[in-house]
Amino acid sequence: MMKNNYWKSIEEKEGKESMEEMQEQQDSSMMEILANESNNKASSRRDFLKWCGISFVSATVISACENPVKKAIPYLTQPEELTPGKGIWYASTYQNGNEYCPILVKNRDGRPIKIEGNYSSAITGGGTTARVQASILTLYDNGARYQQPRKNGQAIAWDEADREIMAQLKAFSAQGRKMALVTPTLLSPATKALISEAQEAFPGLEVVTWDPVSPEAIRKAHLESFGNAVFPEYRFDKAKLIVSFGADFLGSWISPAVHARQYAATRKISQDKPEMSRHIQFESRMSLTGANADERIPVKPSEQLNILMALYNAMARATGNTGIDGPNVDYDVNALARDILANRGQSLIVSDHQSTESQVLVNAINAMAGNYNHTLLTGNPLMTGMGDDTGLEQLVSQMEEGQYAAVMFCNSNPAYHFHNQEKIARAISNTELTISFASTRDETAETCTYILPDNHYLESWNDAMFKEGHYSLTQPAIHRLFDTRQMQDTLLTWMGHDNDFHSWLKEYWSTNLFGKQSRYPDRESFWMHSLQAGVFEHPVSPVVLPAIRTAAATEAIQKLRQHVAQNTGTEFLVYPHLSLYDGACANNPWLQELPDPVTSVVWDNFAAVSPAFAKANNLSDGDEIRVGNKITIPVLIQPGQADDCMSIALGYGRTQAGKAGDLVGSNAFPLIRMDGTTRLFDGQLGAWEKAGSRHRFARTQTHFSMEGRPIVRESTLDKYRKDPAAGNEIRAYHQKYALTLYPEDTFEGHHWVLMIDLNACTGCSTCVIACQSENNVPVVGKDEVRRRRIMHWMRIDRYYNGETDNPGVVFQPVMCMHCDHAPCESVCPVAATTHSVAGLNQIAYNRCVGTKYCINNCPYKVRRFNWFAYANNKAFDYHKNSEFGRMVLNPDVTVRERGVVEKCSFCVQRIQEGKLNAKNERRKVNDGEIIPACVQGCPAGALVFGDLNDKNSKAASLIEDSRNYHLLEEFHTLPSVGYLTKIRNPKV
Amino acid sequence: MKKTGKNKGQFFLSLCLLSVFVLTAFLTLSSFSGSADPYDTEAGKYTRDDLRRGQRLFKGLMPFSSGLHDCASCHYPSRTDTMNWNPSAHDLAMLWLEDDDYSIREKLAMPIGTRMIEDHMGMSVTEQEEHYLEAYLMEVARRGPGELQAIPVNAMIFWGLGILMALAIIDLLVTKKIKTKVFHVLILVVGLMVHMQYAVAESRNLGRTEGYAPDQPIKFSHQIHSGQHEIDCQYCHTISKFSPSAGIPSNNTCLNCHSVIREGTNSGRFEINKIHRAEASGNAVSWIRVHKLPDHSVFSHAQHVNAGGVECQDCHGPVETMHILMQTSDLSMGWCLTCHRDSNVDFSANPYFQTYQRLYEKVLNGELDAVTAAELGGEDCMSCHH
Repeated sequence: MMKNNYWKSIEEKEGKESMEEMQEQQDSSMMEILANESNNKASSRRDFLKWCGISFVSATVISACENPVKKAIPYLTQPEELTPGKGIWYASTYQNGNEYCPILVKNRDGRPIKIEGNYSSAITGGGTTARVQASILTLYDNGARYQQPRKNGQAIAWDEADREIMAQLKAFSAQGRKMALVTPTLLSPATKALISEAQEAFPGLEVVTWDPVSPEAIRKAHLESFGNAVFPEYRFDKAKLIVSFGADFLGSWISPAVHARQYAATRKISQDKPEMSRHIQFESRMSLTGANADERIPVKPSEQLNILMALYNAMARATGNTGIDGPNVDYDVNALARDILANRGQSLIVSDHQSTESQVLVNAINAMAGNYNHTLLTGNPLMTGMGDDTGLEQLVSQMEEGQYAAVMFCNSNPAYHFHNQEKIARAISNTELTISFASTRDETAETCTYILPDNHYLESWNDAMFKEGHYSLTQPAIHRLFDTRQMQDTLLTWMGHDNDFHSWLKEYWSTNLFGKQSRYPDRESFWMHSLQAGVFEHPVSPVVLPAIRTAAATEAIQKLRQHVAQNTGTEFLVYPHLSLYDGACANNPWLQELPDPVTSVVWDNFAAVSPAFAKANNLSDGDEIRVGNKITIPVLIQPGQADDCMSIALGYGRTQAGKAGDLVGSNAFPLIRMDGTTRLFDGQLGAWEKAGSRHRFARTQTHFSMEGRPIVRESTLDKYRKDPAAGNEIRAYHQKYALTLYPEDTFEGHHWVLMIDLNACTGCSTCVIACQSENNVPVVGKDEVRRRRIMHWMRIDRYYNGETDNPGVVFQPVMCMHCDHAPCESVCPVAATTHSVAGLNQIAYNRCVGTKYCINNCPYKVRRFNWFAYANNKAFDYHKNSEFGRMVLNPDVTVRERGVVEKCSFCVQRIQEGKLNAKNERRKVNDGEIIPACVQGCPAGALVFGDLNDKNSKAASLIEDSRNYHLLEEFHTLPSVGYLTKIRNPKV
Repeated sequence: MKKTGKNKGQFFLSLCLLSVFVLTAFLTLSSFSGSADPYDTEAGKYTRDDLRRGQRLFKGLMPFSSGLHDCASCHYPSRTDTMNWNPSAHDLAMLWLEDDDYSIREKLAMPIGTRMIEDHMGMSVTEQEEHYLEAYLMEVARRGPGELQAIPVNAMIFWGLGILMALAIIDLLVTKKIKTKVFHVLILVVGLMVHMQYAVAESRNLGRTEGYAPDQPIKFSHQIHSGQHEIDCQYCHTISKFSPSAGIPSNNTCLNCHSVIREGTNSGRFEINKIHRAEASGNAVSWIRVHKLPDHSVFSHAQHVNAGGVECQDCHGPVETMHILMQTSDLSMGWCLTCHRDSNVDFSANPYFQTYQRLYEKVLNGELDAVTAAELGGEDCMSCHH
């Protein structure tokens, strides 16, 4: 038998009860007290009769009620492309600063209800992230969206605001005074062209590009190393050895959806291709990427730089270049250098460090490893990371001195994101004319004179170029919900143009891009086809980099040494949060309630410390600490955290985000400081003290624990090569003793199964949000999560393995297993949960009476109970309590009432639709045609859905794979969900 | 002690009696209270006298200067349960409200369309009479089309039995006038049984609307369109093959024909004009929905019409014979399932069914007589409830 050494929390490992469990017991004893109190008022036989009488009378009265008259109002003139009751898809593009994702928007009867990845994109291949999936909810956020233009908090008409502002801008231009437009990285070429035209129209207007979380150091380092400020394209799929210094490329670094797809391609193995990449991660916090690594070295930020320098030296010596005496480190960098050189041109070294110097070293190492033009492509460089920290720093200083007459903020919120909040506040108040184009409420807009709300991106026209030569379009999927106007249209109005941005964009494409293709003969068909596909690509002449300037690395090392020498004692690291990123979407309750895959905390950020650090400083989970006067934040003990280092997520502690995002967690931006040309996200923590108070986290960590059975199985590549069933040996044992008295179930027609490749799954949680969006899963709030009442149909279980200082981590998505012998079905007293002829475990909500027997009898703990009505309930004031928020609901899925059980249905509405399409087209269902929302959303392609009875389907072949196993097979529940063993590739 | 107990009981019973009386009185009064003061004239434009004269002229109780015309004999002032092709008084009133320049005098002087010309031959009104009629019709518009007043037989039986039972209890316990207690028991038993039967029947039909046939905003007759003129159902309900919804035809679908056909045999121009009025005003016609399913049930027309090859009439009844569309089935789950269990699937009709190869072979071998929709998932809860 396999020895189980997996654990989910430190307390579980040490055999203690977790903090959550203890608190929960306190809660339940409170509940008992309350229950006893009500019991004192004993109800009598007379009460019973009274209620009988009342219910009889009310039944009679209700039955005498008339049915309400419902109207059926057709279109006056029905649009040709629209079929009422059926979905229609529009190709569009999600972009938010550096983030980019080509998408398809599902529109039902005029309103967007779901976002999915655009398969036509060569960059993402249909992948999405949780933030992309959740961005649709912001469209309907009537609480936080600005609904009309405002001046000093009072509503103002657009034309009046235009008149006032245009007069002022013209006056400032004439007086030769300076004005600034602050934007994040703009991926849209048309918008950039428009802005430069605006600069001509208003002399004195400067454009300051600034990203709150900025990978600009990479661009600046390429300028240092090669004299060309390119941003290379990373190709993880071509790398056999990946070495990352803190870069959470699967979670938040640059473009996680793209990286996850590439990374998964190197991690998926089969007997035909028993090869996979090796991934080494040096990092300070336990990141999603580190959790996936084959070898993970927890070191604090300054030590990471030391290792980087030592690695540079080792590489330099091994390649015959001149190394300088590097610092001594605790890691065998020479062996690593040998490994890198053994994989010449097939390795990839990345770092998320914000200093230009460290990126210069990374460039040098990659160059010595021969990675340029192999795993690092500069032919079609990326357009991200255009921000400039020095630019904003300078702007803020000069604004403070009153040098700027006007400043405009477009999709930019420095009042929250800037590290020195007093300074930015002074700067804004010392500027004569301040304008914000914010579409949702933010800290900056609230301090500006004018708020001229931008549309949501689903109401806008735009284009984007993420990579040189790769274009995509954004088109409106709904008419404007509020009295808003696209920023570009506002600029066009001020510039005195008659036409809107739609025609400007069309004109731009016609002038600049039509000529770069030969497929479509006329401009209109080129435009229409590009709009329909959403993406357009054309070949570009590649950027050729000159030879690397080796002196750059030497200079960089000297600077880095000084930097490292400054950092003594406890260090800190702030990082963009996996779901909230920089906090712009903090008012999105879906993202707030998405459990962080590593810590499983929802609705909070925290200072993660290592168990050893906690012990030395007598800290326990939830103890609040104060760092100078910058931040007060609770501590969370995180296995695998680097010692003597605290890491804190950005994006929390908003004050003007809206009802869901305000005052959730603490703002960590004040910890950031400017150093040289960039802002550093790490450094010396300085004095900190216990605040004395305690905080209670809402975590899903110990929920639904499966009591230590072999439910995650892993092995190593070496063992896999010898035995494809390595790590999965116990399956043969279970199958041998799988005896049953009952006849075997046969499924005629379809038999739906879901296969999950644990090797490809990175734990990014996109599937959780995709499921929530598709299936109208409610948000329950922090308190309810503390009571273990989170409603997600799908969860990412995280298991640790090994010691607490640096455990291995396995992620496992768990949803309803759709067991053929489902334990839940046999205990339902009202037959509300039954089995379908296609192997689905079904639940009829309107039949369920809420006994919860099924929940108790489910060995996988995937069933959820509606403790409350979550729709139309003031106590759950999230999107389902608002008329606008409810517009996001999928009309094909019932909104569940209070008192019923719900769970994953394998997206039965999609199965029904897919089958119907096949029937109506007089053909069989194609493999891969029907996919649940989770499978669609997965950027890594880790989930495969299909028909087991279709022997040619991908799922049917995977279920025969010797890595396949089912959860708790020994119960003979015969699940329809299979997992493929996780294989790691450690150094032998 | 005993005495007070009895007093208490008597007090309680008399209270019961009183409350029954008050309730009955209230119900009776409330049914009359609606007609207490219907004539509330608007802002002094019309006097109460104008209104009364208008009403009498319209109802043929007072002659016009051109003779006695009973307008109300064609233009019904209240709702009826039979199809009346002529515009009702309320329809006319709404038209008047819509159009400021509307004038009955002009309409009668220059009638349009065969029906209108024939029916209004020799009729004319003076300006004064028009003023009276306007006063009356504005009142009709204000009151709305009204509800169809049917005699509530069931409610009368229910309440009658209730009162009888109450009396029986009172007599049994307090007054004791009737010595034979069998009467009391009989009344109570029969009364309770009838009440129970009502409660069961009514709760079973809760939310079901079999026989529902509301008046529609346009007197559209399926009998004329699909019966008499044999227009295919899907000519108008175009999306029923592709969408879960059968689709109420949009205004432009009607105009496909009615931009040319401007006058109906029965209704003249009045009803068809409503389509043109909607087109001109931009407000689509608000039809009354007849067939409704609860929100937790998913039904797809495409599945039944296209894939299943079910005839429209199988569920909707003989629509081609209906002037006023009526719901003929109760649309209950039992009704759905009966059909799913009884309908055989024609495997040869669609290559999709090759998915069910084994079943297909069994049918060929004669092992199975036929395969029903239920066996292919037509009985699965989540096929319809998801």
